[in-house]
Amino acid sequence: MRTTIVSAVLVVLLGLGLLVGAGVENGPNPFITLGVMNGAVFGLVALGLVLVYKGTRVFNFAQGEFGTIAAYLLFLSINRGWPYWVGILVALAGTVLIGLVLERGVIRPLINAPRINVLVATIAAALFMIGMEILIARIEPRSLSPIIAAVDSSGNPNGVTVFNLPIEPQRLIALGVLLSLGGVLAWFFSKTDLGLAVLATSQDAFATRVMGIGIERMSRFIWVSAALLGAIAGILYVPLTGALTPAVMTSNILIPAFTGAVIGGMTSLPGAFVGGIVIGVVQSVGLWAGGHFTIGEKALQEVIPGVEQVTILLVLLAVLLSRPQGLLGKEA
Amino acid sequence: MSLLEVQELSAGYGSLPVLQGLSFKIEEGETAVLLGLNGAGKTTTVLCLAGLIKPWGGKITFDGKNVTGWDPRKLVAEGIVLVPEGRHVFPELTIAQNLRIGAWPYRRDRKHTRAIVEQAVEYFPRLQERWTQLAGTLSGGEQQMLAIARGLMARPKILLIDESSLGLSPKLTKTVFEVVQKINSDGTTVLMVEQNAGVLKIADRAFVMEKGTLVYEGQGGEILDHAEIREAYLGAPA
Repeated sequence: MRTTIVSAVLVVLLGLGLLVGAGVENGPNPFITLGVMNGAVFGLVALGLVLVYKGTRVFNFAQGEFGTIAAYLLFLSINRGWPYWVGILVALAGTVLIGLVLERGVIRPLINAPRINVLVATIAAALFMIGMEILIARIEPRSLSPIIAAVDSSGNPNGVTVFNLPIEPQRLIALGVLLSLGGVLAWFFSKTDLGLAVLATSQDAFATRVMGIGIERMSRFIWVSAALLGAIAGILYVPLTGALTPAVMTSNILIPAFTGAVIGGMTSLPGAFVGGIVIGVVQSVGLWAGGHFTIGEKALQEVIPGVEQVTILLVLLAVLLSRPQGLLGKEA
Repeated sequence: MSLLEVQELSAGYGSLPVLQGLSFKIEEGETAVLLGLNGAGKTTTVLCLAGLIKPWGGKITFDGKNVTGWDPRKLVAEGIVLVPEGRHVFPELTIAQNLRIGAWPYRRDRKHTRAIVEQAVEYFPRLQERWTQLAGTLSGGEQQMLAIARGLMARPKILLIDESSLGLSPKLTKTVFEVVQKINSDGTTVLMVEQNAGVLKIADRAFVMEKGTLVYEGQGGEILDHAEIREAYLGAPA
């Protein structure tokens, strides 16, 4: 119920923002639209973060690097002349394999260790993956083409135009994938026995064992799913940036996605979705405001460099002060 | 043939021995109780039986099978189910969801699961009244009821109940013991770990433990009449 209300309020706010923005010269509407699209990618990574947090009560610092690794695997596959869809399969399968190895080699031996140990282990895993990316693909930026090109062979833009802003097909795909995955995961955790068992494991691993449920199986499932979500986010996001570099997902996406997950409520999958979109819009509108408004004779972004990041932190602060468990999280 | 036979069982934590050659038998259809002071090894015994601690030595035979060192998953499927000390309900899941998790071995058989749920809530009607309430918001007594009902969901042949009266009022304790008696009379063998002398009224057999071994075995009623044992192990004066 709360999910529906909060989502409806945010949609109304978004609609009001667009209405007001329509009356402003050089208004924020293209930025709001772009923010929703960027928010879809933040939401995808946030879904992975929430999944691991729900299952293990740990923030997974390696979540971003699942995406970077997948993007590199896709890049290497395309460079070998393989079709794009084969590259996607290779990227997804390879990242899932890395998720399996990480779970078996690092996470499972720490299954009964304090959570802080697991947290530090995920940092080590992220650094290891970044090291491997540098070793194998070198540091120079690579270009990764999108699933559907932004312009067709005659130079006309593909996709749709909203508020005079052309939206690339890749962004529309990201939004569609986020909506679908959010729905599937919400169904999985509320309706299936396996989903319930994952939640139960996160709340009391000892009791889960008592019930005859293999917590190792649950752990494996969580990390493979997280790797898969990270890989999908990487494949969808990196072509939009134009540059594939080591740690690109950690440096560009992890922090906004984490902020989105916290705003949504760290244990809420719909919250991750909503939080990701909120962060995307806030960041984008902050960027617009930085160029649009002036203080004295200087633009806002000159007075406050990185004003869009400040805006995100202000929203985070406001949410945490008014509702510490996040917009859709449950009170502890 | 006994349903459960424990022979020369030894186990411990790290290098600290707790059980040192424990032996006892439980017949099918009995309610048995393990008594003893703190540190006697009662909880360690049921944890061993449920596969949550690997025994160092000895043998556990259940329903004619040597189940020593088996994984909890296999033991639950075989019919040995533990209701752990401290309840350990899943606090952020509803009562209905907690029970569904308890039926994990039968998760592919919805019809069967529904039938067991109905039977479990017959014992504890209060659970049905709070079906969609989160388990963490229940009172201690209600959580204990949920923990026992959840244990029943796996259709145990033997239900191991560890300290079910811990932290409960005398009235609630009596209710819990009465339900356990009913569960037993419906055909489930029960082994309880208790420090509450009231349990002896429903016990067919009682085992008294001290320092990891058995020091006394008899019928439940016998211990109630045995002033020395009652005073030494149950803290109840003659």
